[in-house]
Amino acid sequence: MSKSWTKKDGPQGDICLGTRIRLARNLAKLPFPATANRDQAKQVMKTAKELSGGLDQLASFRFLDLAEVDELERQILMEKHLISPEHTKKTSNKGLILSENEDISIMVNEEDHFRIQVLMPGLQLNEAWELANRVDDLIEANVDYAFDPDIGYLTACPTNVGTGMRGSLMLHLPGLARINQLGNVLKSVSQFGLVVRGLYGEGSESYGSIYQISNQVSLGHSESDMLEHLARVAEQITASERQARKYLQEHNLPESEDQIYRAYGLLAHARIISTKEALDLLSTVLLGIDLGLIHDLDRGLVKKLMVEIRSAHLQKMMGQSLPAQERDRLRASLIRERLNR
Amino acid sequence: MLCEKCQKETASVHVTKIVNGEKTEAHLCQNCAKELGEFGLNIDLPNLFASLFDYAPFSGKLVRPKQCPTCRLTMEDFRELNQFGCSDCYETFRDEIEPLLRRLHGSNHHEGKVPAQGYATLSVERQIRTLRERLQQVISMENYEEAARIRDQIRALERQSHGEGK
Repeated sequence: MSKSWTKKDGPQGDICLGTRIRLARNLAKLPFPATANRDQAKQVMKTAKELSGGLDQLASFRFLDLAEVDELERQILMEKHLISPEHTKKTSNKGLILSENEDISIMVNEEDHFRIQVLMPGLQLNEAWELANRVDDLIEANVDYAFDPDIGYLTACPTNVGTGMRGSLMLHLPGLARINQLGNVLKSVSQFGLVVRGLYGEGSESYGSIYQISNQVSLGHSESDMLEHLARVAEQITASERQARKYLQEHNLPESEDQIYRAYGLLAHARIISTKEALDLLSTVLLGIDLGLIHDLDRGLVKKLMVEIRSAHLQKMMGQSLPAQERDRLRASLIRERLNR
Repeated sequence: MLCEKCQKETASVHVTKIVNGEKTEAHLCQNCAKELGEFGLNIDLPNLFASLFDYAPFSGKLVRPKQCPTCRLTMEDFRELNQFGCSDCYETFRDEIEPLLRRLHGSNHHEGKVPAQGYATLSVERQIRTLRERLQQVISMENYEEAARIRDQIRALERQSHGEGK
């Protein structure tokens, strides 16, 4: 998660960990990245680099050529949700425009020429859309986008055509998971034209009861209608998560307390721990704080740990790449150190 | 450390697997590791889009497939890649794409943001393209009177679009 994402809790921050808006845009008259030749890909990179200078009325930006960024740094960008897993792999003529506080990022030559992304803490769909829209306007003032009056912004994959927009909310749903209602809730989400994904987007697994919900459809409705729909469904989900948490407090307190303190105990004493186990336990401890059962731990510290314990972050901390077993040991000792401070 | 799958037994097997350059790892107990074989099942759906087309694989006669003039992509390629090659593909395969969009989005008409620049020109360009197609049709039907009328319309639109371009 970006700096701005973990720094503050934001509205509804006890359940909605963050908001993301993504706009897919392509330059007119140039093939999409997958079919572009090297010169055409370079041209997109050059345009992007020039554009990054013109965005300074919004924030201070830097342009990164991913071929010049080492693998560990790219992993870190991914763990912060600033680039997609795909964008960490092939690096030739792939770029990133990144704002200083990392709330705005633009992937260059990913699936589309530009993927404009805004990240904000808590539930702030309208605010994030407004900012993404301003970034888009500033870019559009200098380039011609591939746009069709009938079907909107043209994208490499027809699933993104139209607005090119995907709004996503990252929701922490440990309460629903505990009362075994998560399946039901997520199933109804998909009936409302929304998609549920794991922590890192498409095809990724859910860690620590964290789910991303986003709009599936990008064509046929205005951006604000789509976001309103997403917000309404999110409201229902957060309401049922609150109900679930209340239920746990009122009817299942001894068991919940036991689970939460066991998780706390494991985190405070384990010697080898994987990312998944750590995220699941941290999620349980976070629930303990939200339920008012754990008093001596700072919520921000736990949220921060949820990012710091990811593999690339750990390796960066150690200044070198490490084999998996060593990472698991290091992860356990970092958590112990933070929790027992 | 507990097994990541059953969360009951102590993890004693460390599985590392690299698929397409992507590394996945798991700590499992012996039973779960045995049960999973390696790392569970990967279900691949490469041809998801193909199922959305009314697609007859062999029509009985050989027709040269339609190809995008700009990037040379055919619908066959699209079914394989699940992606278009360039923005002109949308024009080339408009007839094939419209039903696809309806199935994917429940709509084939954009209602959202429109770029402030160049939109008027774009819309004129589109009208010209439609008229040109119509012109070809009426010429092939030897309806020259109608053809002349359409040609005048095209010229008028072209003048308009050049005027705006300045």
